[in-house]
Amino acid sequence: MIFLFIGLPLVVAALLPLIGKISKRVLPDLLANAVFLLLLVLAVTAGRQVISEGPVLKQLNWLGEPVGITVAVDGFSLFMLMAISLLTLCVSLYSIDYMERYGAKANYYALLLMMAAGMNGLVLVTDLFNVYLFLEVAAIASYALVAYGLEHDELEASFKYLMLSVIASAAILISIAVLFGMTGSLGFTAVAAGLRSLDAKFVVGFCAALFIMGFGLKAALIPFHAWLPDAHPSAPAPISAILSGLLIKVSGVYALTRILFNVFGLTPALSQVLMYLGAVSIVVAAFLALGQKDMKRLLAYSSISQVGYVVLGIGIGTPLGIAGGLFHLFNHALAKGLLFLNSGSVQHATGTRNLEEMGGLAKRMPVTAATSLIGSLSIVGVPPLSGFWSKLIIIMALVQAKEWPLALVAILASVLTLWYYLLMQRKAFFGKLDEKWKNVKEAPFWMTASTVILALLSIGVGLFFSAFIKSWIQPASDVLARGIHLALGSWGI
Amino acid sequence: MTPQTLLWPILLPALAAVICFLIPRNMKLLREGIALLASVAVLYLGFALFSVKNLEFRLPWMGNGINFELRLYHFSSFILLGLSGFLFLITLYSTVKMKNDPRVGEYYAYVFLSAALANGAVLADNFVPLVFFWEGLLLTLYGLITIGGKSSNRTAVKAFLISGFCDFCMILGIAILWSITGTLTISQISVQPEGLAVTAFIMMMIGAIGKAGAMPFHTWIPDAAIDAPVTFMAFLPAAFEKLLGIYLLARITLDLFKLEKGSSLSLVLMIIGAATIVFAVMMALIQKDFKRLLSYHAVSQVGYMILGIGTAIPIGIAGGIFHMINHAMYKCGLFLSAGSVEHRTGTTELKKLGGLSKDMPLTAFGFSVCALAISGVWPLNGFVSKEMIFHGALETGYPVFAIAAWVGAIFTFASFLKAGHSVFFGPRTKEVPPVKESPAPVFIPILILAFLCITFGVFNKLPLVNFIQPILEGHVEAGENIDFTAHALSLFNPVAGISILCLLIALCLHFTGWKRGDKKAYLASEPVHKFPVIKQIYDLAEARVFDLYEQGIVFLRCFSLVLFKGIDRPIDFFFEKIVTKTGSAFSGVLQKAHTGHYANYLAWCLGGLLAVAALINLLIK
Repeated sequence: MIFLFIGLPLVVAALLPLIGKISKRVLPDLLANAVFLLLLVLAVTAGRQVISEGPVLKQLNWLGEPVGITVAVDGFSLFMLMAISLLTLCVSLYSIDYMERYGAKANYYALLLMMAAGMNGLVLVTDLFNVYLFLEVAAIASYALVAYGLEHDELEASFKYLMLSVIASAAILISIAVLFGMTGSLGFTAVAAGLRSLDAKFVVGFCAALFIMGFGLKAALIPFHAWLPDAHPSAPAPISAILSGLLIKVSGVYALTRILFNVFGLTPALSQVLMYLGAVSIVVAAFLALGQKDMKRLLAYSSISQVGYVVLGIGIGTPLGIAGGLFHLFNHALAKGLLFLNSGSVQHATGTRNLEEMGGLAKRMPVTAATSLIGSLSIVGVPPLSGFWSKLIIIMALVQAKEWPLALVAILASVLTLWYYLLMQRKAFFGKLDEKWKNVKEAPFWMTASTVILALLSIGVGLFFSAFIKSWIQPASDVLARGIHLALGSWGI
Repeated sequence: MTPQTLLWPILLPALAAVICFLIPRNMKLLREGIALLASVAVLYLGFALFSVKNLEFRLPWMGNGINFELRLYHFSSFILLGLSGFLFLITLYSTVKMKNDPRVGEYYAYVFLSAALANGAVLADNFVPLVFFWEGLLLTLYGLITIGGKSSNRTAVKAFLISGFCDFCMILGIAILWSITGTLTISQISVQPEGLAVTAFIMMMIGAIGKAGAMPFHTWIPDAAIDAPVTFMAFLPAAFEKLLGIYLLARITLDLFKLEKGSSLSLVLMIIGAATIVFAVMMALIQKDFKRLLSYHAVSQVGYMILGIGTAIPIGIAGGIFHMINHAMYKCGLFLSAGSVEHRTGTTELKKLGGLSKDMPLTAFGFSVCALAISGVWPLNGFVSKEMIFHGALETGYPVFAIAAWVGAIFTFASFLKAGHSVFFGPRTKEVPPVKESPAPVFIPILILAFLCITFGVFNKLPLVNFIQPILEGHVEAGENIDFTAHALSLFNPVAGISILCLLIALCLHFTGWKRGDKKAYLASEPVHKFPVIKQIYDLAEARVFDLYEQGIVFLRCFSLVLFKGIDRPIDFFFEKIVTKTGSAFSGVLQKAHTGHYANYLAWCLGGLLAVAALINLLIK
């Protein structure tokens, strides 16, 4: 069943271009959404029972022969699977109407499914090389999707993204090679055990630095962020939502966390570095977002800033901090996905992304304006929306760990966040309606429906945050905390 | 009678309020009929419960001693009867006076709701229901004043805030009392006023005298006299609020706290009472408007009640309570006769009125009886209760309070001579055309009240023995005399002598003033008004300098201005100018760094890698 998460999207992705020859719209829409819905249902219902007895390990059999791909599900990967399936479902619902104007829907869905398969694979695998493999699967799909519009800017952004990502992949690959050379194995547990028997802390430190740079580039932490503000706005809106909401977190934060926590073990040094990187990202990206005129660019910078919060929370290394970071990861996926989808709706209706040209759109697009307000307030951290609780938990964890300056940074940066989100809301939706937008209409059904779902989830998770933390976040952060527990004391770094 | 009967005086008027509110606007007759019927039913209930005397209804409610407890005994049954009587008279009167008001449905709803809440407050034997009913009256007070029209909003807010402040004090007092005694059931509480209990006493006393309208919580009443409907004035400030406030004050001093004769708390009460009498009556004297003049008297007379109860001497307390019911009767009658005059002539300005006694003989008669009663003329009820208060004040050993009360008596009579002379006697004025007597529903309540004033005066044994004495039973030391009827109407004692002398002085005062003022009665108070020093004080008072509420508003305005200029603006400047400027400057610098050059970004990444590696190596232990 676990292989379904990787295999099903891959198989459907392979079939879709063929199906596209028969039916241009209906079948690809139906098929892709059905796959995502099925995966979501599986993750939410069946996944729980699978891991109730502890982590589950499965080896891939190919024609009766065991193959070197082993997958495992524990609390952390299940949580990520749920987040991935949820957001991809909303995005693909949104695409039903949005992608009409791009054409070639079957190819689009094939790429989307491939990216989903890559992300699902990344969270399920148990060895370093497969991490690299699925990282590239997801990344290659995303290069194509960023360039999907085939305009000059989009191709340039995609190229820049590709070039910088290659650097990241290279760094990751070098680090994996070094680790393989030292321990002779690639599996997480085997490498961890091998490293424990060696006294090679400077080499491990070097590997950790390479991983931080590589995955940090994928996660767009400052100063590795430069590709993101170009790539994310250029992609079609649903793809921007996936890239900002999921991909940077799965291929960046998740992979980094998994390796640092469960292979190296989060040592005080790594914890410090992560926290600094997070804090720098939060502040600098917030200032950058402040000056943006392009709605999607503003959202892209905001993603960097919010990933900073996630890394800051996880970097604390205390159970509370990890829980806060993971919770913020999920909340940000919901809210930023929602906001990117809304920016797509606005672009769909007005044809522009420039905030200076908009104004008063709330009168013509009330649902979009309202859901976008909810998303903004959730990211800003206004109670009772979900983002408030995760930021609160992160700040509480910082205070608990006596990291006073960082706690202050986290609090003050949320004021900056409030500032630029209110600017965005005011420029786009409030104020007087410009004459030229008087014929603008609300987005079509599936587009509004999926934004409404995400907005309701933001509110619902915020209202029932304790239940959500208990059932989803706690098992995930337990896995990470256990990793620290195993590693602590056995390492010099 | 079952204990559940005690719910009727609350539920019946509340039901009537809802029905009156829901009846469509044009079905006037139906509404008036239902209102009258309901008030008669409440009056009947009042009589029935008065004959029962003792009844208790207890319902467990929220726990922690918060129970829905009602208790009927001789005192509350007496007040209940008074309330229902006034409700009936006011309803009868309103059928004519409020007939054409656009918000008449709302008016009846508020009146009956007030009655329900007042009945509940009187019957409540637990502080929580008491506070509930007491606070509810704030809403109807506000609502009733706003019926007066546009200009009444300000007055309504003023009344609401002042009464709200007093009620807040009362709640604080109740909270302190609760923490001292540990119970909320009123009939179980009896503490010595010492230590913290003194604070509780003063707080609750503010609540009680604030409701009754004593100084300095009176300032909304003269304003309301101008803005609010006259029926409201006769209903709440003249009758209901006096009954409730003084009832609570009597309960506080008699039951909750054992007020000692000559104690400092007793002195505080007497000082408030005496000050209220003198200052309010001085203000009443110079008023040029009939209703405003009456409203100041409504304040002044509260002083007598507080003074009487504050003496802590049986005859004084009995006098205070007796004065309360007497005052409610004649002041209600006076307001109703002012309303009757307003109904026919359309004005209540003394200057424009004159010689109405020929046109409106019944109103004039009712007014005269009530005016004489309030002035304390033998043998009316006002004489009896005032005499008792004079005796009580003298017995305390502080003759200054008795003197203040006598000064009050002089000016009360003088101002009513002026008012009566201006409105009903003297020559007719040109401003007012010939008028007819008001219709029966208007003059009947006035005459009933006048009749009661005479009855309670001449046959004073009736109320004193039946109503007042039972209240004091158990509160006086054994053997002490509680038969107050002995010198009730006696003219031949020094106290009565001084009182009669006061009336004569007032007569002279009015006569000289009238002569000096070109024989215009409304100018009769001018000699006092123009008297040096006193004139300046009057000017200040007319400019509302002594009105704590207005001064408080001025203070708050200044304070908020200072806060705005001194603190808010600088903070605003900091955020508006400094923070935004630095923010956007920083943002601009960062944006310039993003040139879009691939090599540039690649350099950052490699620099970052070096920094991270260096940092990790640095931190490795």
